[in-house]
Amino acid sequence: MIKESSAQLVLEAALSTGGDFAELYMEDTVSNSLMMVNGDVDNATSARVTGAGVRVFSGVRSAYAYTADTSLDALIGAAKAAAAALASDSRMTVVPFRPADYSVAPRIPYATIDNAARIAKMREAHLAAKAYSEEIAQAIVSLADIDKTMFVCNTEGVWASDRRPRMRIAVQAVAAKDGDSQTGSDSPGYARGFEGFELIDPAACGREAARQAVTMLHADECPAGVMPVVIDGGFGGVIFHEACGHSLEATSVSKGNSVFCGKLGTQIAAPCVSAVDDGTMEGEWGSLHIDDEGTPARRNLLIENGILKGYLIDKLGGRRMGMEPTGSSRRQDYTFAPTSRMTNTFICAGKDDPEEMIRTMGDGIFAAYMGGGSVNPLTGEFNFAVREGYLVRDGKIVAPVRGATLIGRGADVLMKIDRVGPRMWMAQGMCGSLSGSIPTNVGQPRIRVSQITVGGKGGTL
Amino acid sequence: MTYNDFRKSVLDTALQLGCDAAETVFIEGDSFRVGILDQEIDSYSVSRKFGIGLRVQVEGRNGYAYTEKLEDPEELCRRALDNARVISSADEHPMQGPQTYAEVTAPEDPVCDMSEREKIELALDAERKALAVDSHVERVASNMLSTGHTTIHITNTLGLNARRSSSFSYSYVSPIVRDGEEVHDSFAFRTGREMLDTASMAEEAVRDGLAQFGAAPVASGSYRILFKNITAVDFFEAFTPMFSADNAQKGLSPLAGREGSAIGSAHVTIYDDPLYPTNPRAFDDEGTPSVTKTVVENGVFRTLLHNLKTAKKAGCTSTSNADRPSAASPVGIAPSNFYMAPGTDDFDAMKKRLGNGLIITEVSGLHAGVNPVTGDFSLLSKGFLVENGEIVRPVEQITIAGSFLKLLSDIEAVGSDLKFTLPGSTMLGMPSILVSSLMVAGK
Repeated sequence: MIKESSAQLVLEAALSTGGDFAELYMEDTVSNSLMMVNGDVDNATSARVTGAGVRVFSGVRSAYAYTADTSLDALIGAAKAAAAALASDSRMTVVPFRPADYSVAPRIPYATIDNAARIAKMREAHLAAKAYSEEIAQAIVSLADIDKTMFVCNTEGVWASDRRPRMRIAVQAVAAKDGDSQTGSDSPGYARGFEGFELIDPAACGREAARQAVTMLHADECPAGVMPVVIDGGFGGVIFHEACGHSLEATSVSKGNSVFCGKLGTQIAAPCVSAVDDGTMEGEWGSLHIDDEGTPARRNLLIENGILKGYLIDKLGGRRMGMEPTGSSRRQDYTFAPTSRMTNTFICAGKDDPEEMIRTMGDGIFAAYMGGGSVNPLTGEFNFAVREGYLVRDGKIVAPVRGATLIGRGADVLMKIDRVGPRMWMAQGMCGSLSGSIPTNVGQPRIRVSQITVGGKGGTL
Repeated sequence: MTYNDFRKSVLDTALQLGCDAAETVFIEGDSFRVGILDQEIDSYSVSRKFGIGLRVQVEGRNGYAYTEKLEDPEELCRRALDNARVISSADEHPMQGPQTYAEVTAPEDPVCDMSEREKIELALDAERKALAVDSHVERVASNMLSTGHTTIHITNTLGLNARRSSSFSYSYVSPIVRDGEEVHDSFAFRTGREMLDTASMAEEAVRDGLAQFGAAPVASGSYRILFKNITAVDFFEAFTPMFSADNAQKGLSPLAGREGSAIGSAHVTIYDDPLYPTNPRAFDDEGTPSVTKTVVENGVFRTLLHNLKTAKKAGCTSTSNADRPSAASPVGIAPSNFYMAPGTDDFDAMKKRLGNGLIITEVSGLHAGVNPVTGDFSLLSKGFLVENGEIVRPVEQITIAGSFLKLLSDIEAVGSDLKFTLPGSTMLGMPSILVSSLMVAGK
C-alpha cells in the first residue's frame, strides 16, 4: 500500500516531537450488503473504504490522527498532528523494517461473485423461514461480505499485512397471531471467502429463525426472581464474554477499572471453569492472522480450573501493565485507534452430563438461546437477554417463556457455575467497545449457574 | 481528481450508462478528541474524513455505491448500477428535485471555536473539579472532550443542490467513588456553551456516584415507577424504530395502521421537529425541506415518520425524516429532534406524586434487552426506593420489564424537566415520566 521510503518519512514525522513509538496503519476494504424483505431484494449497497491512521506513544501517553486521504502529504500531515500532541525530549529512530505478509487469499473471492449468486443463497433462507409455519408473518434476510486488506508498520521494524475476508448471512423472522408478535433470528458467519457457504446451510438458518419466533409466540411471560439457570452452548457464551471477557481486556485492567485487576494466579471462577481466547482458529468469525498492531494472533489461556492465568493486552495497555502484547489489538477500521479486544472467546468443554444438570436443578430457567448483553467492567455488573427460554419445574422442562433477562456481577456468577457440559460450540456476534464494532465469536458448552437474578414480567416464580 | 470534478463526472457517467437519475451525497468532516487522566493527555485523536455516496435510479429502483477514493467514476457507477438491477421490490423510490429551504441558525458553540490548547485545558479542569468535589472520589475513570464539523452536500441530475454544515461539541466525566470495599462509577455530560461550566458537570457526576452507596436490590414484584428524564430519554431512544414508516410497512412495528387511534395516555404528546432551535436543519438526507409535526397528540397517534419512498407507498408526503447515517448507507428513516412535550410538575413534585415506588436513574443493555419489533423490554436498572414521596435508599441489581405501548398508556404524569441527548442527526428529548406499574425482578 505504501513504499518503504514513504513509510519511513511518515514515521519520522510522527517521532519529530520526541515520541518513543510510532505506527502507521492503512486499509483498503471493499464490502457488499444486500437485504431481502418478504422475498424481494429491497436494498443493495457496495462500499470501498480507504484510509490511514498514525499513532504515536510517549511513555503511556498516546495520540492518534486518521485521514481518508492517503497521499504522502496527507499522511505526513496526520503524523505531525499526532506528534504535536505529545512533545517530549526522548530521541528515537526508526528500526529497519522486517517485511512479513500474513495474507491468505480466499478460495472464492467476493469480487468473483455476482449479486445473483448472493441472492440465490438469501432466497433459500427466506423460503425455508416462510415454509416453517403459517404463523411466520415476515422474514428478513441480509447478506454482508467484506474483504479487508490491512497494512501496519512501526518504528520497531514491524512491516506486516493481512487480508481478512468475512461473510455473514442473517435471518430475522417475525411470527404473529391475534395481534401478538415475536421474533427469532439466526446469523452464522465466517472469516472466509464465498466458500463459507460450504459450511452454512441458508435453509437451516431460515428454519432456525422461524422456529425461535414461533416457539416464543406460544410462550408465557418469564417469571422474575433469583433461581438456578442452565445456559446452553453456542451463543450462551455471551455470559462469559460479558461477565468476564471485557473485564480481562487491558483497556480496563491497565487503568485499574476492572474487578480482575491484580488477580493473576488467584481463583476467580469455580474450579470446573477454564476459558480461552483463541484468534488462530482457522476461518472462524473472530479469527485474525495478525492483530492490528502486527502481532501474530495466538491462543491465550485466560482461566484454568478457576485460576486467572492471563489478560488480553495491546501495546499501550502492555506499557501500563509492564506486560507483553497478546495479539489482541483490534479496531473496526482506520477511524479508530486499536485497543485490546476479544477474538474467539469460550469456556472450555467440561465433563458434566447435559441432562443431569437440568434433572437436578429443581425450579428454574433453561436458557436455550441467548441474545446480546453488556457489562460495566469496573463493577462487573452485566445483563443479557434470553431469546429462547424454558421454565423448569422439579427438574423437567415444562413450557417456553419469553422476555427474560439475566443480570448479575461477573465475579459472583463465575463462582456459581456448578456444571460444565462436554461439548463446546460457538456462535457469531458483533462486539462494540472503544475501538468500534468488531466481529467476535462467543462459545461454551451447556453450563449451569446455581443462582442468578432473572428479570421478566410474568410474576414471581 | 477534485471533489467537484469527480462528482460531475460520476453524474454524467451514470446517465450515459443508462440510469434514469443519479444522486451524490458528499460528507466531509473533521474531529478532535482528547482524554485526560491523572492530569495528563491519555488519548488524543484528530481526523479528516470524507466519502462520496452514489445513488442511481433505474425504473424507480435505487442502487448504491460508496467510495473514499476520488478516482474511477465509471467503476463507482457500474457498482451502483449492478446493485439497482437486482432490486425486486416493487416500491418506487423517487428522488427529490430542486427545493428552497428555510434559513436556519444553529446556536453559537464557543468550545468548537477554541484552540486545541484551550480545549485541553478545559478537559484538565473537568478532572480537577471532579477530584475536588468529595473525599470519596478515588479517581476519574474517563474524562473526554470532543468537537468537530461536518458538511453534507447532496446533488442530483434532477437539479437538487443542497448543502448544510454543522458542528458538535461535548464533554463528559466519569468519576469512581469508593467507600471501603464499595465502589461505584457515574457519569455526566455537557454540550456546547454548557461545557464551560465544568464545576456543574463534575458536581452532578460525583453526586450521582455518592448517592449509590448502600445500594441493594428490592423484593421482586410490581412497582410504581418514576423514570428520571435522563433515563427516560435513553429508554425512549431504543423504541424510536417503531415510529419508522419503513419498519411499519415491513411488518416490523406494532404502530402499523394505528394512525388516529390512542396509543398512550392523554398526558403523552410527542413532536418531531427538525427546526428545533438547539439543533436545527433545513432539509433531510434526501433534500426534503424540514417539516415540524405532532407524532402523538394527547395520546392519539398521528403519523409515522416518512421518507420519499415510504410516503409514495403510503400515498402521503414525506415528513422530512430521510436519514443516511453515512454516505455509504442507503436512504432510511430516523427521527430528527424527537421529544415528549413537558408537563408542569418539577422532579420533586413528581416524586411526591410517585408516593411509593421506584425512581429509575439508569438502564443498561438497551441494545439487547429491548425488542422494538414487539415493544417488549427487560432491562438491568438502578435507582432509588421511595416511600411516602421520600427517597429511602438506593437500589441496584434489579430489572424492570414491560411492554412499550402498555407503558405509554400507563403514564400518569409528565414532568416539566425536558432533557435532550447529545445533538446529532437525531436528538431525543424527554421529561421525567411517572408510570403506574412495571414488573421488577430483585431478590
